[in-house]
Amino acid sequence: MAERRYRSASGAPLALRCRQHSASCRELAVRCPRLQLRSLSAVTSAVWLAAYGLFVLCENSVVLSAAIFLMLIGLIIYLHCVKIDQESLLVIGSLGIQLTSSYASGKESTTFIEMSQVKDVVINEAIHMQKVIYYLCILLRDPQDPQGVSEVVPLFQVSVTE
Amino acid sequence: MAAGRAQSVCMVSDFFYPNMGGVESHIYQLSQCLIERGHKVLVVTHAYGGRKGVRYLTNGLKVYYLPLRVMYNQSTATTLFHSLPLLRYIFVRERVTIVHAHSSFSAMAHDALFHAKIMGLRTVFTDHSLFGFADVSSVLTNKLLTVSLCDTNHIICVSYTSKENTVLRAALDPRIVSVIPNAVDPTDFTPDPSRRDDSTVTIVVVSRLVYRKGIDLLSGIIPELCQKYPELHFLVGGEGPKRIVLEEVRERYQLHDRVRLLGALEHQDVRDVLVQGHIFLNTSLTEAFCMAIVEAASCGLQVVSTRVGGIPEVLPEDLIILCEPSVKSLCDGIEKAIAQLRSGKLPSPESVHNKVYERVADEVVLPMDERLDRLISHCGPVTGYIFALFAVLSFLFLLFLRWMTPDSVIDVAIDATGPNGAWTKHCFLGKRERIKEEPPSSRSAQMERTNAPVPRGFKAC
Repeated sequence: MAERRYRSASGAPLALRCRQHSASCRELAVRCPRLQLRSLSAVTSAVWLAAYGLFVLCENSVVLSAAIFLMLIGLIIYLHCVKIDQESLLVIGSLGIQLTSSYASGKESTTFIEMSQVKDVVINEAIHMQKVIYYLCILLRDPQDPQGVSEVVPLFQVSVTE
Repeated sequence: MAAGRAQSVCMVSDFFYPNMGGVESHIYQLSQCLIERGHKVLVVTHAYGGRKGVRYLTNGLKVYYLPLRVMYNQSTATTLFHSLPLLRYIFVRERVTIVHAHSSFSAMAHDALFHAKIMGLRTVFTDHSLFGFADVSSVLTNKLLTVSLCDTNHIICVSYTSKENTVLRAALDPRIVSVIPNAVDPTDFTPDPSRRDDSTVTIVVVSRLVYRKGIDLLSGIIPELCQKYPELHFLVGGEGPKRIVLEEVRERYQLHDRVRLLGALEHQDVRDVLVQGHIFLNTSLTEAFCMAIVEAASCGLQVVSTRVGGIPEVLPEDLIILCEPSVKSLCDGIEKAIAQLRSGKLPSPESVHNKVYERVADEVVLPMDERLDRLISHCGPVTGYIFALFAVLSFLFLLFLRWMTPDSVIDVAIDATGPNGAWTKHCFLGKRERIKEEPPSSRSAQMERTNAPVPRGFKAC
């Protein structure tokens, strides 16, 4: 179980962990940095400053409670649906590939791709936002047309682009 | 590999395949030729319908189809700012050294010039079109051209009319404007020293055999030189009413084995004739622009020509020997060429190529303060100041972008161009065990196919 350090397309540190479960079963996991206390406090103070600004202007204390409420809801949504801590790829020879993303809240979402569906695995280049990046993706076989590609599944999306 | 330093050239234009036209094919062919010379070339254009992202063409020519909005006539909007982040990212990741923009209609080309100058890259611009001076659209385009060309390192025009036009429109110093015609494809006219017979000296003449081409002069030169140099041969390609004059000369001086008349030549056969010679002779009495001498120089021949019309401007002085249009002067010129040939002083055929890039690569990019001065002094009080302001703003924007994503973070793109490119078999052969895993032949095909469907979750923009 070796851990290697890399950088993402925007320069954030990443850690790659490879684990060999058996001869035909291997797990690759990319871990993003956890939520930093610094950025959390920066966002909190920004929201609070804005809320106080509004409070001074309209002198209504509802603004302050709304700010607390929004802050909490926002944080929950962010941790539960946006912030991904780890993305892992479990490759089992002859069976298939399982993609797992674990969110900061502990929620996990899993996709499984059957081996017969996998046509190939390629590294491609794409324009993403204001960047040009390389990404790893799985090509899925088109059931109707054995030569064609029905879908392209990018791997380690968040870790690579974030 | 290139004789000089290999450059990384970025062609920028709004116009590229799948759009069809002169500019498009010029860019494509120029890129292919440069790749052959060992340079790394990439093309940046805007997305055409579903064709966006990164594609590879023949010889690993990489094309970026950027998702920029098309405004009018396949041209993107020129705001001078919105394309900076992407273009900067590409320039950095491809380690671009020269930015070559094409066509004055292309807003993207002007943007790229602007950005490249801010980033301190060398810039070349090719103008493909002629403009008027009177109507509103040309007045505006001319102003834009003045602004974007006033600090460009070098400008290429496709013809002399075009050069005159561009120099007037953009108020340029004519010295930094070169004329390189579109029509000569250097890959069609490559030197082949093995084809020539070095025991003799062969002079090639390819032109229509008419009065205007100075065939009467030629008929005077042939006997005089043949007497002087016993190893001299003449190869004459072309047909025309003056052929009879040459035949008479050949008859009179018994030169059948030394003067060969080939008759009319197809354009694709011209190179075959050219590579057999050492010296190319052009005896035209009047000429606006002589394509033949360019083709000959491209084949690595020493050119001897009359000093008429636009000819003195066509080739640099070290590639051409100019003479007055008289038998005596031309003979002197040819003798000079023969003497140079014997002493081995003639430039080797390969070294004749890619002059412009090497020249540009040695030039300095104007520092910011000089650039601002130039803008203000050159482009009129109002436009000058406005664009100087833009240049400053855009520099600040660049600093911001550098702070957001430092250059060190941007990964270097794999160089796929040319015979040593990453996707060619060549590269994989070194790694035997990898070949078993993934046959290289299917590799490039996969790259092409993957581009077809839009990846899930990945927006192209």
